Amino acid sequence: MQDYKFDEYPDKFPVAMAYVPWQHFNGIYDDLEKAFYAGTIFPELNKPFTGRRCTS
Amino acid sequence: MNHEQQMLKDIGIVGFTVVELALYLDTHPHDRSAMEYFNHYNRIKTQMEKEFSRTHFPLTLSMVECGKDWSWGEAPLPWEGVCD
Amino acid sequence: MWNYEKRLQFPVNIKKPDAKLAQAIISQYGGPDGEMGASMRYLSQRYATPYKEVAGLLTDIGTEELAHLEMVAAIIYQLTRNLSMDEIEKSGFDKYYVDHTLGIWPQAAGGVPFNANQFQSKGDIITDLTEDMAAEQKARTTYDNILRLVQDNPDVSAPIKFLRAREIVHFQRFGEALRITQDHLDAKNFYAFNPGFDTNGKGQKK
Repeated sequence: MQDYKFDEYPDKFPVAMAYVPWQHFNGIYDDLEKAFYAGTIFPELNKPFTGRRCTS
Repeated sequence: MNHEQQMLKDIGIVGFTVVELALYLDTHPHDRSAMEYFNHYNRIKTQMEKEFSRTHFPLTLSMVECGKDWSWGEAPLPWEGVCD
Repeated sequence: MWNYEKRLQFPVNIKKPDAKLAQAIISQYGGPDGEMGASMRYLSQRYATPYKEVAGLLTDIGTEELAHLEMVAAIIYQLTRNLSMDEIEKSGFDKYYVDHTLGIWPQAAGGVPFNANQFQSKGDIITDLTEDMAAEQKARTTYDNILRLVQDNPDVSAPIKFLRAREIVHFQRFGEALRITQDHLDAKNFYAFNPGFDTNGKGQKK
């Protein structure tokens, strides 16, 4: 599936609908064990949580 | 980590890779590169499962071959965990 | 139909019981954004899906969620085994123990039992996929909240990090399924008809 910049093609991406960008195959992690512990074989889907509670 | 634990860990890693590729292919059913990776790792997983079932315990019903006892019932329960 | 592999998708090996933590994590077993709701949602929605690839995806993700349900149960089981009566009383776990002893029973951390009100199966593919995307985000947030409770506990944080990462991947897949659905429909009006139920009045079915 081709992917476009959403605002450049309003007829392909009309308002009042949700659009998630299409993932393209760019290879997978070489180290599959590292991928296993990260929870995905795709580097672009690896989004770790680093939040820490802070109170002012 | 003993040999059984190491093999089980490797099967876990390859099995996970197969599932990840399967989900990707569900939405990208014509992606040739992904299909090649899938075939490759699926073959490895099947081989490893057969080998594991032969030397330790069967991981699926289709790997069960009854010898002296009902080997399907002999496998450890997956939720017990291991403390080493 | 379903087969079973006698292993967890990701290992759970917890050395130290912790009844308090178990009470929080049980929300991912039977809570509003937990794995039981996720698996039942996707496995229920797949029947009314008009597009085969989307039904296939719902089946495969629904199946993976059952494996995650098993992992969460393993975490709770290992966090509560070998608890002394003193630990049960002091941790507040006594409220659960009195009804279930150390049995695993699907409920939210606050005590609300698992129920089908925690998910919808609306019979409209755009609606169902949008709900699925929201469900994955809700689960991710719940795992974020659990991770804050287990920062110094690698035995628990490792499987939780894995489960959290899966939610993000599933979100991407459901988003792609929605893009596939859009491709089947007329961009001038995606909501003209329910492709699983109507024609669009112009003879188009899906």
